[in-house]
Amino acid sequence: MSIDTRTPRDGVPEMLGRLAWQLAWGFARIFSIVALLAAWEILARTGTFTPFQLPALSAVLERIWSDAVSGDLAINAGLTLYRALTGFAICAVLGIAIGMAMSRNVVANWFFDPIVSVGFPMPKIAFLPVVILWLGVYDTAKITMIVVDAIFPVIAATVIAIQGVERELIWSARNMGASKRELLHQVILPAASPQIMTGLQVSLPLCLIVAVVAEMLMGGYGLGGAMITAAQFANSTSVFAGIVEIAVIGYVLIKIMVLIRRRLLIWHPEASAPATA
Amino acid sequence: MQGPAQIVVDQVSHLYRPPRGREVLALDAVSLEVRQSEFIALLGPSGCGKSTLLYLIGGFLPVEKGEIRVDGKPVGGPGPDRGIVFQHFALFPWKTVRGNVLYGLERQGMAKAEREKRAMEYIELVGLHGFEDSYPSQLSGGMKQRAAIARTLAFDPKILLMDEPFGALDAQTRGLMQMELLRIWQRTPKTVIFVTHDVQEAVLLSDRVAVMTARPGRIKTIVDTKFDKNDPDIFKNKTFVEKVDEVWNLVKDEAIKAQGKRSA
Amino acid sequence: MTRTLIRYLPLLLLALVWEMAARFEWVSNTALPPLTDVVRAWIELTLDGELLRNSASSLYRIAGGLGLAIVIGTVLGIGMAWWKPVNVLLAPIVEVFYPVPKSALIPVTVIWLGFGDGSKILLIFLGCMVPVTIGAFNGARASEQVMVWSARSMGASKLRVLWDVVMPGAMPELLNGIRTALALSFILLVSSELIVAQKGFGYLIGSLGAGGSYDAMYAVVLTVAFLGFAADRAYLEIVRRTLAWRSVA
Repeated sequence: MSIDTRTPRDGVPEMLGRLAWQLAWGFARIFSIVALLAAWEILARTGTFTPFQLPALSAVLERIWSDAVSGDLAINAGLTLYRALTGFAICAVLGIAIGMAMSRNVVANWFFDPIVSVGFPMPKIAFLPVVILWLGVYDTAKITMIVVDAIFPVIAATVIAIQGVERELIWSARNMGASKRELLHQVILPAASPQIMTGLQVSLPLCLIVAVVAEMLMGGYGLGGAMITAAQFANSTSVFAGIVEIAVIGYVLIKIMVLIRRRLLIWHPEASAPATA
Repeated sequence: MQGPAQIVVDQVSHLYRPPRGREVLALDAVSLEVRQSEFIALLGPSGCGKSTLLYLIGGFLPVEKGEIRVDGKPVGGPGPDRGIVFQHFALFPWKTVRGNVLYGLERQGMAKAEREKRAMEYIELVGLHGFEDSYPSQLSGGMKQRAAIARTLAFDPKILLMDEPFGALDAQTRGLMQMELLRIWQRTPKTVIFVTHDVQEAVLLSDRVAVMTARPGRIKTIVDTKFDKNDPDIFKNKTFVEKVDEVWNLVKDEAIKAQGKRSA
Repeated sequence: MTRTLIRYLPLLLLALVWEMAARFEWVSNTALPPLTDVVRAWIELTLDGELLRNSASSLYRIAGGLGLAIVIGTVLGIGMAWWKPVNVLLAPIVEVFYPVPKSALIPVTVIWLGFGDGSKILLIFLGCMVPVTIGAFNGARASEQVMVWSARSMGASKLRVLWDVVMPGAMPELLNGIRTALALSFILLVSSELIVAQKGFGYLIGSLGAGGSYDAMYAVVLTVAFLGFAADRAYLEIVRRTLAWRSVA
């Protein structure tokens, strides 16, 4: 944009004023979070709620700390992450492959299209007991459930993205002598990558949701299993600790995805979009 | 055309504050008087603040320095005495052409039978008869702008503010719409402030052309462009050609200045 | 007709493979009872009212949770887009709450409201509110300045503009957010019912599975899957009609 040197007010007091304004703004942005956390602690401490209904924030943080020291946190969080991310990796590779096959091959499209259009809106989590029946309650079953649930957004996004690549772009690449292979790798996939990335960004939180549900139902180690065990022993401090831990993991994973998106799509005008997905 | 000024812009300055970065002085002590039923064009390079001036008169942006009076009263916000037509139409896409035209009339509290009749009158005036039940997405650019003009004229504002209304249209449609606007204006004379960066368009349509400088925007000169516009061969008309030349020379330097600033 | 047949032929083929695999015992019938047995079990479940009773309580939970989420989420989202103070207060909370895998809330809602309807409705409400709020917020925030100005210059008050311009403008994004919420509501319903419930689809699936009547369990699983699919299709049809102005061309 243009730089106009004629900024009429630019003295020191104005700059200080602007700084104060920015500080106030920054504080306002964290105010509600701080207020919420404070309200949690106060409501718990004053006995408005029983410790079973709402353990104090400080007690929950203490529990997280002791879990971290004893190594339980590392085991449980590590296993949940391992399952969710393995599932996610399979979703990404398999989903993009199926999506590409569908948009380049008539038979593949004929076979997968009805499965995707019927399967996508289904609550596939209902198949969890069936998966247990087939594969037991260990990692294979959990990861399979994750893939069944979270692969559909990736397939759909890939198909739509490849369909949406501009004809002119393909024509001009052909015109410059790109072979079919080069066309796919150097033109179609890069041009489709923003939307594929959006599909992956929808898929990742789903992986985490399903991982937690699968762990809750199948038991064993993992954050979901630990929470359900804690709930059965009426240990609500551990239940809340579990929520905080999973929330932090979810937050970090989503932020990492946003960073990867920015890095990969640096050329794209909406490099950071979608901001909230 | 003589008479007291209907719109008075008195020493108005305006600071543009982008969300990030420095403030920019968009308008610098602009003064302008517009008489009743006059058609005045605001002409200048892009970024000179001509649209900003229009939005200030419309009451959409707050007047922070100086004063704008319409019929002697300071402008304090938007009002139905000043209708506006935007470059990108701003039609409500979820309403039909008729629904769009009716909207302003409903807000004025007009009785149902009367507003239906009136809406159809104005839809016919702009030549959209037969399209009253179409949605904007079904219309071409020129038709959308006709609908937007009908919507604004229908609630009968005393003043018509037009913000590069033909800027988004193709060249042929643009020419047709200019003729159409002249015809409509001659039938329902209103005070018109018309923002454009097209010299021919400004000279063709208006009684006076206010040429603005590159940022910060000021009024450089006002050129009288009132002569008989009913010549069917107006683009070859000698007065027209001379006026276009005169205005073009005035605006050329400013356009070059604006270009230079942008690439700097 | 033939076209639809060809289009959905892969699904029929899958069904056929299922039936044959089970009939000829390529796989154990415990893991995969024949499709025809599943259909018979479905008819029995429907006739003795078991399926209907549990459907009713599941659908009641979805309706309650999703309904609340739509109303409150829409108000919050539009409020955040229209009034800066609301935005400053709520945006950080939404941003922190958004990435929480909603299934993690299952034990807490049980601690708060027990094993019945209340905990499921609360869970669905909390989970679904997020996509609805974000949809309403993005839609309302994108409302075009010039359209707001046009309405203002035609004499509409600020509140009127909110109703006449911002709401319809936000509709496409809002309806999209509600679609996400609809899908999420089924996921949360079934998950929570599988884990802790005394009635509902999830409970029925769990208890049939525990009792070893796998054909009946498959019948309920397929029923839920079909209902989720049908709800989405019905919703898309409603959206298509509501947004007729967008695609009439």
